[in-house]
Amino acid sequence: MDLIDLKDAYKIYNEGYENEVRALSGVSLQVQRGEFLSIVGASGSGKSTLMNILGCLDIPTYGTYHLDGQDVGELTDRQLSKIRNKEVGFVFQGFHLIQALNAYENVELPLIYQGISGIKRREMVMEALERVKLTDRAHHKPSEMSGGQQQRVAIARAISTKPAIIMADEPTGALDSRTGEHVMEILMGLNGEGTTVILITHNTELAGACNRLIRISDGVIVEDSLREGVAT
Amino acid sequence: MNVRQGFKMAAKSIFSNKVRSFLTMLGIIIGVAAVVIMVSVVQGQNQKIKENFEKMGTNKISVSAFRYNMQDLTQDLYDFCLSLKELILGVTPNGGYYGPVKYMTKSTEANQQYGMSQTYLGSDQYSLCNNYTVEYGRDICWLDIKNYNQVVVLGASLKEFLFDYKNPIGEKITIGGQKFEVVGVYEAKGSEQNWYMDYMCVVPYSMNRMLNKQSMFSEFSVKAKSSEATTEAITRLTGFLSGRITNENGYFNVWSENTWMEQSDEQNRMMSLVLGGIAGISLLVGGIGIMNIMLVTVRERTREIGIRKAIGGTRKSILIQFLIEAAVICGTGGILGILLGYLGTLVAGKLILDIVLFPGVPMTLGAFGFSVILGISFGMYPAVKASGLQPVEALRAE
Repeated sequence: MDLIDLKDAYKIYNEGYENEVRALSGVSLQVQRGEFLSIVGASGSGKSTLMNILGCLDIPTYGTYHLDGQDVGELTDRQLSKIRNKEVGFVFQGFHLIQALNAYENVELPLIYQGISGIKRREMVMEALERVKLTDRAHHKPSEMSGGQQQRVAIARAISTKPAIIMADEPTGALDSRTGEHVMEILMGLNGEGTTVILITHNTELAGACNRLIRISDGVIVEDSLREGVAT
Repeated sequence: MNVRQGFKMAAKSIFSNKVRSFLTMLGIIIGVAAVVIMVSVVQGQNQKIKENFEKMGTNKISVSAFRYNMQDLTQDLYDFCLSLKELILGVTPNGGYYGPVKYMTKSTEANQQYGMSQTYLGSDQYSLCNNYTVEYGRDICWLDIKNYNQVVVLGASLKEFLFDYKNPIGEKITIGGQKFEVVGVYEAKGSEQNWYMDYMCVVPYSMNRMLNKQSMFSEFSVKAKSSEATTEAITRLTGFLSGRITNENGYFNVWSENTWMEQSDEQNRMMSLVLGGIAGISLLVGGIGIMNIMLVTVRERTREIGIRKAIGGTRKSILIQFLIEAAVICGTGGILGILLGYLGTLVAGKLILDIVLFPGVPMTLGAFGFSVILGISFGMYPAVKASGLQPVEALRAE
């Protein structure tokens, strides 16, 4: 069974009005467990909309989306929250950390929402921070950290719940090339352990590191190719 | 997310914006303090008035009657009062003699502070009817009245003025040129406002003939058994007197302190309500301030709400978080307001009523509970707004 099964998905804003925008126009996409997929496209091509739908942050206007066999369109608000919490980990270009909380507390947040108790939660947070090599920065606030460190905290937050899918939207976009490489190494490592990683980028060089490339243009998939020389 | 986590997050958010949180709380602090102070002062005033009434004696009926031919009426009225024995505890004529009281070289005429004292003419039940207790010596007794004994019981201040620390029992004082033997001293009532209640003395009513050269009494005090008995006795006395005194030949009046006390209670209740209401409006304004700030907070933290939703925060958890935040702001404001209110009540109590006044526990708890409820009610709309945000749109917010 496909982990992700999106069929003929449309996302239309202001449908029927003069300012109607078609962000996605009939996109179908199947993703297996353990794939390292990159979605590339120019700015405004609809790649972020596609990620939002795949990550259950948004639902398609038309079409169906099955995540791990579940029809997302039929889920309640609460069930969607639960899926975002347990199945999906997000890494955003702008890090999206909560400024009032320190690194530890940011990573802890999804575990709190999951209802995991104190000691177990602490173990999981430290494990995630260890993974991104930031245990020494646990009690620093985002404003006291560099961009690369903040993105690593965001990754730690995304992996703390051990989700099936990591969605990374331009994770290196705000970073210098060396820090970007480091972030990519972490993502590749996660993929190596069996986590499905979906990377959204306009950087074809980064996309080259993935084993499957989806190119999207004007809300339509124009290329879906497996990359040679990259092991699945 | 459990409630404990909610409180932790609320505390974090409040502390990360200290000045704004404090300014938001200020409305609640001032509102709660105002309610506490105003209601406490009114209650204190009420208490003080009540205490004064109690010092004068509760369930006390005053009868005042005058007729051109008073001679017969005095005895009839006294007999009638005594006949109400199932309703009353005691009855006394309430006569007075206003003249100097002297002991050795001291005379009340020369008292710079209080001036001349009042001498009352009463029965052996005078102290019962007027709420006096004998501190030492003895009270006036029936034989003193019957045998025309020239004895006197002194009020505490008068004793102090005439005798200082000397034991007055057995000493002779002069009232209206007549010698009286001091047989007892009443306990001080200690009311600053009604100082005259201690600056007095009581002699047997049979001395009326000697001091006032007459045997009529136009005033009686009756002590009833209960407030119900008071009402009943007033009715009967009014009935008795209206049969004997008409507008043409005299006047009469029967009243009790209970009626005054009820009226004053009612007035104070109204006062409490009016002042509490005014202070309540200031609390309401504080509450609207909370709502305003919470709405600004929701707008400012739209992205944060989006992040929380993206990583698994449910509508309910966001709602609870913002509600707890509003409740904590209001609750903390409430506690600070209560502390300020205690301080203000102490100061106001001293300045206005000259007593040590503390707000009551039920009102303190009520004020705290009200401020928390205020927070939850005014935090509800912003919290619902926050929890209803779509994650994608919230994340896009700048």
